[in-house]
Amino acid sequence: MSYKCSRCKRDVELDAYGGVRCPYCGHRVLLKERSRDVKEVDVQ
Amino acid sequence: MATDFDVEFIEDTEREARFLVRGITPAFANGIRRAILADVPTLSIDTVRFVENSSVLFDEVLALRMGLVPLTTPEGEFDEDDTVTLAIDVEGPATAYSGDLVSPDPQVEPADENIPLIELKDGQRLEAEAEAKLGRGRDHAKFQGGVAVGYRHLQHVEVGDDASEYGEDEAQIVRGVIEDGDELVATSEFGHDLTNRYPGKEVTVEDVPNAFVFHVESDGSMPVDELVLRAVDTLSTRADELREKVSL
Repeated sequence: MSYKCSRCKRDVELDAYGGVRCPYCGHRVLLKERSRDVKEVDVQ
Repeated sequence: MATDFDVEFIEDTEREARFLVRGITPAFANGIRRAILADVPTLSIDTVRFVENSSVLFDEVLALRMGLVPLTTPEGEFDEDDTVTLAIDVEGPATAYSGDLVSPDPQVEPADENIPLIELKDGQRLEAEAEAKLGRGRDHAKFQGGVAVGYRHLQHVEVGDDASEYGEDEAQIVRGVIEDGDELVATSEFGHDLTNRYPGKEVTVEDVPNAFVFHVESDGSMPVDELVLRAVDTLSTRADELREKVSL
């Protein structure tokens, strides 16, 4: 679930052949979701 | 050089104090001021681990805001490398306040509970662990225990003859603390204007040499008197270190 289609809001997996395009609705705008990892930040 | 100092309190509350010190040089007075600002170790959040942050602020910005929250620092309980881990978990719609930081140690808590960290809208969530460590004001402003620390000369007031009847009615503004005979009076008590306190009199004001009135405000990490004592302790510790290094 590394991307999300901005029109149909569905999770999208991209591969090397499909290009940047949502396989469900054909929309070309995909959003990258924030990683589930815990992120450590130094207070500076 | 063992001289005794004369210390007298004019105002003394948990967060704010005003006191007079007699018998110190301007250099020493400034040394105390700087020690209060930069040399008293206090606890502050230094590392934040974000589990979830779907708020509108970046993790780094939020971490900085959490770092600036003053934490109470009990004396002698912590060493330089000790850490305290606080946790926060707030779900929108709500505002995350400093009071939402949960501490495992009742001695270490946010000094103020109503500092807003971030406003969370519907569906936004903030979950994080924050590690607090001991540090000094010279390293980062978040470690400053004292804020608004300053000093002024004590003002000696001499009341003279009656002012001339047709003289100008000008205000005579003084700020700080005045010494009238043996009495110490903060100028805020009479609106900082000597003509309110001594109407129709000629008044002369003079600095008292080597007498300084400190005004110290604490950020809540510790009571003011403790803050000043710890600051003076660091001064004497460093003076001892210097003496040891110089005398071989």
